Amino acid sequence: MIELKNVLVKAKDRLILDVPGLRFERGKRYGIIGENGSGKTTLLRVLMGTVRTTQGSIEGLILDHKVGYVPQSPYAFSFSVLRNVSMTLEDEPLRESLALNALEKVGLGSLLHSRGSTLSGGEKQRLGLARVLAVPKEVLLLDEPTSATDIRGTDIVEGLLQEWFENSRGLLIFTTHAPAQALRMADEIIFLEDGRVIETGSPQDLFNHPQEAETKAFLSHWVI
Amino acid sequence: MDLINSIFELLFGSDPELRQIIAVTLRMSLFSTLFSSLLGIPAGVLLGANDFRGKRVLSRLVNTLLGLPPVVAGLIVLLLLSRSGPLGSFRLLYTVEAMVIAQVLLITPFITAMTANLVGVNAKAINETLTGVGIRGAKRLKYFLLDYRVPFISIILAGFGRSIAEVGAVQMVGGNVQFKTRVMTTAIMMQTNMGRFEFAIALGMILLLISFLVNSVVNRIQKAASDD
Repeated sequence: MIELKNVLVKAKDRLILDVPGLRFERGKRYGIIGENGSGKTTLLRVLMGTVRTTQGSIEGLILDHKVGYVPQSPYAFSFSVLRNVSMTLEDEPLRESLALNALEKVGLGSLLHSRGSTLSGGEKQRLGLARVLAVPKEVLLLDEPTSATDIRGTDIVEGLLQEWFENSRGLLIFTTHAPAQALRMADEIIFLEDGRVIETGSPQDLFNHPQEAETKAFLSHWVI
Repeated sequence: MDLINSIFELLFGSDPELRQIIAVTLRMSLFSTLFSSLLGIPAGVLLGANDFRGKRVLSRLVNTLLGLPPVVAGLIVLLLLSRSGPLGSFRLLYTVEAMVIAQVLLITPFITAMTANLVGVNAKAINETLTGVGIRGAKRLKYFLLDYRVPFISIILAGFGRSIAEVGAVQMVGGNVQFKTRVMTTAIMMQTNMGRFEFAIALGMILLLISFLVNSVVNRIQKAASDD
């Protein structure tokens, strides 16, 4: 279990994130929703340690090779697609074959020798996923993993994440702006607004019976 | 026609001095570019790729050093290496080594600033991506160096261009000693002062030719690196 306690993130006196308490349990999938600037990405970055908290603590998360994080726009190095994945598997003896396998799974098998920097946004997102899924992970943090993918790409990503979850029973935390994806992929939804957790619950409960006025107002823009 | 004759006579004639000048020029420029790159590129990556307290001050300092006049760099090295200076015991003044030191002082800030500006553009995305796969801290340097290997070659080449064209600092610490520290630029200046303009222009043409040849070789290396 990962627990955020009294986490506060401020930038020049502007509140970015204010989470008095939030728990993530292994064996569950969490979808974080909210408007742009609501703190979704910051929450993931706090978990990854790339954003420093002004106060508070995160317990239960050891940032080792079993935790994978894919930012919304993963960087593609100026090497071949294959090397883009294999080069990050520093300590793996079978890095080439692991990379090859991961790239086949995300549907980039035909682009192995293309330069990473020439990939489209959606292909870069799949490349990012291939990097983290090349070796077993227990925790996956994904920032809008399909925001740039086409329908086929979205299907591939969601299918892979489903397969990963069923095999690992790990912890998946992802942000999304797609209501259908939240319904399909999450066991629990966390709704953020202005850096605060407004409401949490199962997708069915939250989408059908939102309790808070802010949640209702936000969901009124969603076509579910 | 006289100019072309002068160039050919200089290059292929019996006078050994020009070949000596070219050799000293290349030795000085290659070593000063090498040392400046070894210092400047990692320093630039560290500066451009990381957020730390004092980064702005350090960036300003590096940018200020970009405007360091060559004669001031020469003066600093002259004072350091003169007999009464702190490094006087090494007896390096009026040697090629002294010229290399002065040029490293001039070129390193240039390479550092260019590198920092280059890697700064994508630093956040690269850092975040590497963190996501568990690569943290100093290990990241390798990825920046590999990813920017092609533009780094351009920066190194620009540093070489600065080095080979520089005159003020090398004149001060090298002394333009015949068969020892005379390089193309100091030789051109001397010939101009002596009123031998044709000879000076011929030397200038040869300097350009050397730059062209070095550029051609580096472009081939750059192409090979980008095809990797």
